[in-house]
Amino acid sequence: MVTVTLTVNGETRTAIVGGETTLLRMLRDNLNLTGSKLGCDVGDCGACTVIVDGKPVNSCLMLAAQAEGRDVETIEGLASMDRVHPIQKAFEECASLQCGFCGPGVIMSAKALLDEIPNPTIPQIRDALGGNLCRCTGYVKMIEAILLASRNMRGEAVQSIR
Amino acid sequence: MKKRGQGMACMWYPIGFTVAANPSSAVVKLDEDGTATLLTGTVETGQGSLTILAQIVAQELGISTDDVNVVSADTDATPMDTGAIASRTTYVTGNAARLAAEKVKMMLFDVAAPLLGVKPNQLEAMDHKIVVKGFPQRNMHIGDVANHARTVTGEPPIGSASFNPATVALDPETGQGKPFGTYVYATQIAEVEVDDETGDVEILRIVASHDCGTPINPMLVEGQVEGGISMGVGFALQEEILFNDKGVQMNPNLTNYIMPTSLDMPEIEVDIVDNYDPSGPFGAKGVGEPTLVPTAACILNAIYDAVGVRIHSLPATAEKVFNAIQAKRDAEPKQITA
Amino acid sequence: MDKKPKVAEKDSSVESVLKDPGILRESVASPLVTYPIEVVVPKARQQTPAVGQRATRLDGRLHGLGQTSYIDDMTFPGMLYAKIKRAGVASARIKSIDTSEAEAMPGVMAVLTGKDVPNNAFGPSLKDQPVLALERVFHAGDPVVAVAAVSEQIASEACEKIKIDYELFTPVLDPLESLKLETPGVHAPSANIYQKKFIKKGDIEKGFAMSDHIVESQYRTQMVEHVPLEPHATIAMWDANGRVTIYSTLGRITLGRADIASTLGIPISRIRLVATIVGGNFGGKNEITTEPVLALLSKKTGRPVKSVFTRPDEFIASTTRHPLIMDYKTGVTKDGRIQARKIRLVLDGGAYCSWSETTLSKACILSAGPYNIENIYAEAYVVYTNKTMTGAMRGFGAPQVCFAYESHMDEIATLLKMDPLELRLMNVFHEGSISPTGQKLQSVVVKESLLRAAEKFGWKGKGSGTSGGKLLPKDIIDATTVRV
Repeated sequence: MVTVTLTVNGETRTAIVGGETTLLRMLRDNLNLTGSKLGCDVGDCGACTVIVDGKPVNSCLMLAAQAEGRDVETIEGLASMDRVHPIQKAFEECASLQCGFCGPGVIMSAKALLDEIPNPTIPQIRDALGGNLCRCTGYVKMIEAILLASRNMRGEAVQSIR
Repeated sequence: MKKRGQGMACMWYPIGFTVAANPSSAVVKLDEDGTATLLTGTVETGQGSLTILAQIVAQELGISTDDVNVVSADTDATPMDTGAIASRTTYVTGNAARLAAEKVKMMLFDVAAPLLGVKPNQLEAMDHKIVVKGFPQRNMHIGDVANHARTVTGEPPIGSASFNPATVALDPETGQGKPFGTYVYATQIAEVEVDDETGDVEILRIVASHDCGTPINPMLVEGQVEGGISMGVGFALQEEILFNDKGVQMNPNLTNYIMPTSLDMPEIEVDIVDNYDPSGPFGAKGVGEPTLVPTAACILNAIYDAVGVRIHSLPATAEKVFNAIQAKRDAEPKQITA
Repeated sequence: MDKKPKVAEKDSSVESVLKDPGILRESVASPLVTYPIEVVVPKARQQTPAVGQRATRLDGRLHGLGQTSYIDDMTFPGMLYAKIKRAGVASARIKSIDTSEAEAMPGVMAVLTGKDVPNNAFGPSLKDQPVLALERVFHAGDPVVAVAAVSEQIASEACEKIKIDYELFTPVLDPLESLKLETPGVHAPSANIYQKKFIKKGDIEKGFAMSDHIVESQYRTQMVEHVPLEPHATIAMWDANGRVTIYSTLGRITLGRADIASTLGIPISRIRLVATIVGGNFGGKNEITTEPVLALLSKKTGRPVKSVFTRPDEFIASTTRHPLIMDYKTGVTKDGRIQARKIRLVLDGGAYCSWSETTLSKACILSAGPYNIENIYAEAYVVYTNKTMTGAMRGFGAPQVCFAYESHMDEIATLLKMDPLELRLMNVFHEGSISPTGQKLQSVVVKESLLRAAEKFGWKGKGSGTSGGKLLPKDIIDATTVRV
């Protein structure tokens, strides 16, 4: 067993896990943060995407021990008690999510993109979502929402979708 | 060299189960603030059915979508439903929900009529009010009517209903009969670009023109079409479960079972065909499955238009397309340049 | 990390909390249950009339927050985890099952085989599928043994320790082989062809005789999987009154409850079945999988039991789309009017019937396409093979036959040097057309969909591609018949 201490969504968290426990399992089972999902457990689907030290990663491919001392952002850290994150708001307005299971992973990939490129092109958005599989939506309204969110986050006039 | 082509496919698809009864029941109750609760046995699997059902109930009662709370999928608490299958939810469960809401509306009319000094058939429900037809200033807030029903008349408004599509069994020898209550139609047209040196097919854009009767929520219809097309793209070009000669799957994982990512999707234009089916709730039919039915066909037809090869089996992988292009070249008589 | 608020985890000792005044009892930045954020209701949800509004979804906000509770997100006190050991061989007789080593493992609470299931057969039409395979295995994903343990890992390790002795048979993998009468029945003594369907309209031979051209072709489609992002998941738990509550990803709970009741041999009133918001279905979650087994494990252990399919389980142990082999023969006049269409469909029905009856019916009824054809003969067969069971998948045979009939229409268009759009407009259904099953169709808008799509796309007439659209027939059968 190994003790892992790291920052999750701005707070110091600690857990005692088995050596082979993944970051995903630690987040879900030990820290009760069940927003990140288990879709394949081998890094193919992206449903477990979180941001570690600023980079989007498949948390099922990272051992919990490897996250020691690192800065992790999960879907639970985006909204505050007062407001949803602009990406979450745009996804809601555009009906970007259907069954919702891939949603947290997609939104974290989108956040990582907008943190780095505040004004992305559509090809850049497609590329950023390339590791997130979605079976319901065809990705179309996700791309619309990310464009809308990027405009809102840059303070441009809020546009209604239609 | 990259060559472009266009291809089309049209289709028809039924709503509901084949001949067999596939009923749905629904219960609607109205609370004293004029908001409603819908109890339905259906299951939300991502397609947005609970939102649609809320819109149907809201329409019938003249209230807004947000005023309808939907409780679903609990055999202890919700009435029976044949299930979220065969694109039947909007049509079958939707009809049941509308009929249940209509019963509630009739109860409200019975209560409001004497209070407004008219007969029940002179009333309509709109914009959160029970209104005398033709005299909009003579109205009562729906919540007040519901409250009156509960506290004075003693008949809290609640209604339940079932619906089952009308079918006729098929003759076992000739297959003649009326297997479904209604059908929907669609056309999809694809533009592709084929690299004749690799066989790679890029889908540039797809225009999808779908009939769903009245679209209860056009934004959710678009979502279904876009999602269906993504499944159709995978079916056309990428996906295949492979077996070895012992009957064991060789690629039971998402590394080697290739399905569309955001990078594989074309530009999609969704068009909803104007139509109204009187047997559906407010003219609606359904759209869940039809969205992927013509996709592979239009893509494969576009490949033929681009490079003149007809692929007869799916998926049309780059290897298959490339081999077909090679075979076509080999079969053509050689041109002798003058 | 010094300035960041520190959280006392659930298992922190009281002493450590008392020693450090800066420590927080609960996490602040990531509330797990949020109270009204931005109580602003999107406008479309407040509009009347409601039909036609682009209303945002009821569940959209929770999805985006990661707060939608799927079954794998749910835990109950004392909950156990179940894993299923699957056959791994496609066709075999089970000679013996030795679970002793698994049962002896610390942390393993219960092990079940088919003999523990009161009625070990179910299915939406033919009840040919076992809850746990007991005597015979018909595909490599067949479930054989179920293990409940205190952790998923222990349950998986226990499955590794189960020894099953098989007598292997040669699997039947080719549906055309399976179609032949002399091939041994996969589910012997039952025949391999387990369902048939026929549609006869008009006089097919007369129709061909009236045609100027006859085009024949064969099309094939592959086995594909639904790939819902959320795997199948179930939790079962009993109460002291003898009722079992089952949370499941099933898409149809009324019929699901009936299946669970019949396999367990208990009345439906003893079962409460609750479906959560499901992470994708597409037809693959329309029949029971582990529900009866989990109910039995829960009863045996006295604890809630959860089971979640792995991604490989999704491929090998849940239903897939029927592969089809489709033979089409169409007679047309030289100006493009379809006189006759003859179709044969062979569906690879996999190891069990599942939703094959519905798929067969739909595929057959839809197979001629949305076209006015006086003379139709369609025959369709579904056969058993030792491959993954094929069942309901979005479209029930329609995507497969549409690929065939629309490719076929384009081949006809090429032969006749016609614009594919013109050929379709000439033949397609209109209001009041009679379907292949003799049904008068209403609310028909296929022509409108063709014209609208063509206009929005900017459809250019025939020969718009760079290929020149030339037909290269593989066989010329006679002066009028080509096989393409």
